[in-house]
Amino acid sequence: MAESSNSRKRRKIDPDSQTRIQPETGPTRWRTQAEQQIYSSKLIDALRHVRRGGHGGVRDAADRVLAASARGRTRWSRAILTNRLSLRLAQINRKHKKAARPSAGKSRPRKPAKKLPPVESKVKVLSRLVPGCRKVSLPNLLEETTDYIAALEMQVKAMTFLTGLLNAGAAAPA
Amino acid sequence: MEPNVEAVQPQFRSGISGTKPGGMGFVFDDIHGLIPAPPETDGTSFTALLELPPPQAVELLVKEDFPAKSMPPPIFPSNIALIDRASMFSVFASADNPPESTNILSASSSMKTDSVKQEPLESEHHRKSSSPAVSNQSLKSIKRKEREIKVKESSKKSKKLEANEASDGSGEQLPYVHVRARRGQATDSHSLAERARREKINARMKLLQDLVPGCNKISGTAMVLDEIINHVQALQRQVEFLSMRLAAVNPRIDFNLDALIAVESESSIDNSYLGMFPPSIWPEGQLNSSRQQQPWLLDGLHPGRVDDTSNFITQENSLLSYDSPPNSASLHSSQLKMEL
Repeated sequence: MAESSNSRKRRKIDPDSQTRIQPETGPTRWRTQAEQQIYSSKLIDALRHVRRGGHGGVRDAADRVLAASARGRTRWSRAILTNRLSLRLAQINRKHKKAARPSAGKSRPRKPAKKLPPVESKVKVLSRLVPGCRKVSLPNLLEETTDYIAALEMQVKAMTFLTGLLNAGAAAPA
Repeated sequence: MEPNVEAVQPQFRSGISGTKPGGMGFVFDDIHGLIPAPPETDGTSFTALLELPPPQAVELLVKEDFPAKSMPPPIFPSNIALIDRASMFSVFASADNPPESTNILSASSSMKTDSVKQEPLESEHHRKSSSPAVSNQSLKSIKRKEREIKVKESSKKSKKLEANEASDGSGEQLPYVHVRARRGQATDSHSLAERARREKINARMKLLQDLVPGCNKISGTAMVLDEIINHVQALQRQVEFLSMRLAAVNPRIDFNLDALIAVESESSIDNSYLGMFPPSIWPEGQLNSSRQQQPWLLDGLHPGRVDDTSNFITQENSLLSYDSPPNSASLHSSQLKMEL
């Protein structure tokens, strides 16, 4: 976050260096073919080591590789990389707990809505969608969302390409 | 918000061109009332004017016929950028030279010529400019009045509008920390900070709007946020779906890559590890990976990995070769090992 704010300051005060800075940071870096290549190759590697079965194993691997390609400059990428294990454990625990004791008291604190502004509630929804951005301020959240959307688009492109490639590879020799 | 500005500005322009004879008279009275006691909403319309493309702004300048006699003596803006813009307008406007706006034009042209002299003056007013230029003021007042006539907003709403306009204007022209208090706006630190915050948020919303398709036409923060949320959810669903498909193909991944690399090895492949991009084009389906991977990225991936169970080494496996001796299955991998 500090880095992003610094780069923002640099962008506004020193426009000459903008061309130097922006290819490294900012959502436009996800658009380059180079990034897509890097991501696809890493994804293939990661896919070999996906543990057998497990729902969303490939999805997690793909997200992890995406976060790794982000080079740690964004909050969501750091959150994905650090929360990997804890998220999985939490998912498993949640599944067991849900089956064991249906929680009755949990929904009550959420019901009284003290803040009705629709913008506020949408911001909360958005913060839940972007990983690791629950307690982030609005301008930073928007910045993270920008990067996240760009990264997701690249991920979709790369995965589509890979699927087509592998399917074609499977079909051709067979 | 910027969408509000866009919504308002066309109304304003149509208002000027449509109601020129009658509307101007109406506007004159308001100007007379305005000048001695300017309302709380200030010269943000000047920034709105700046945001307009020059010909349209000139149109506004030219078409507005207001008596220049009742204008107070010209006071110049403290921002050099504003001066340049105003001088630009004066250059355009002086070509047509309507009689009514000569005073303003002369003021702005004198601004242009005496810009050097005025700069020390402006530097005084640099921080707290409660004294914008005449043309600015008159234009501001006209635009503001038109807006209030057309849109019939409450004063609170117009304040918000102009706060947003100010934020848009100052965000794009002034350096980051420096937020100027415009004429008529509250200058206490709270509203300044609030304005700076708003301008940050609006700038990022604009970026997001560019990124998400179909968001440019929507006005209003809530709707735009809706679109953004939908887009993110759709992308996540797509990733989920694709990962399912990849998982279906996954068991055969080694086999597929085998076939692909075999095809690849026939063509010339650049095996250098020094980070040179292979000349193959990505959409053509060749799996030449870039050599630019840095070790720390691999460390990021490494903890998630079980032992290297792959029995097939491709060029992509150069990533793995640093940690475990791979089974060389092809000539390329042995070359890579030697390089490492």
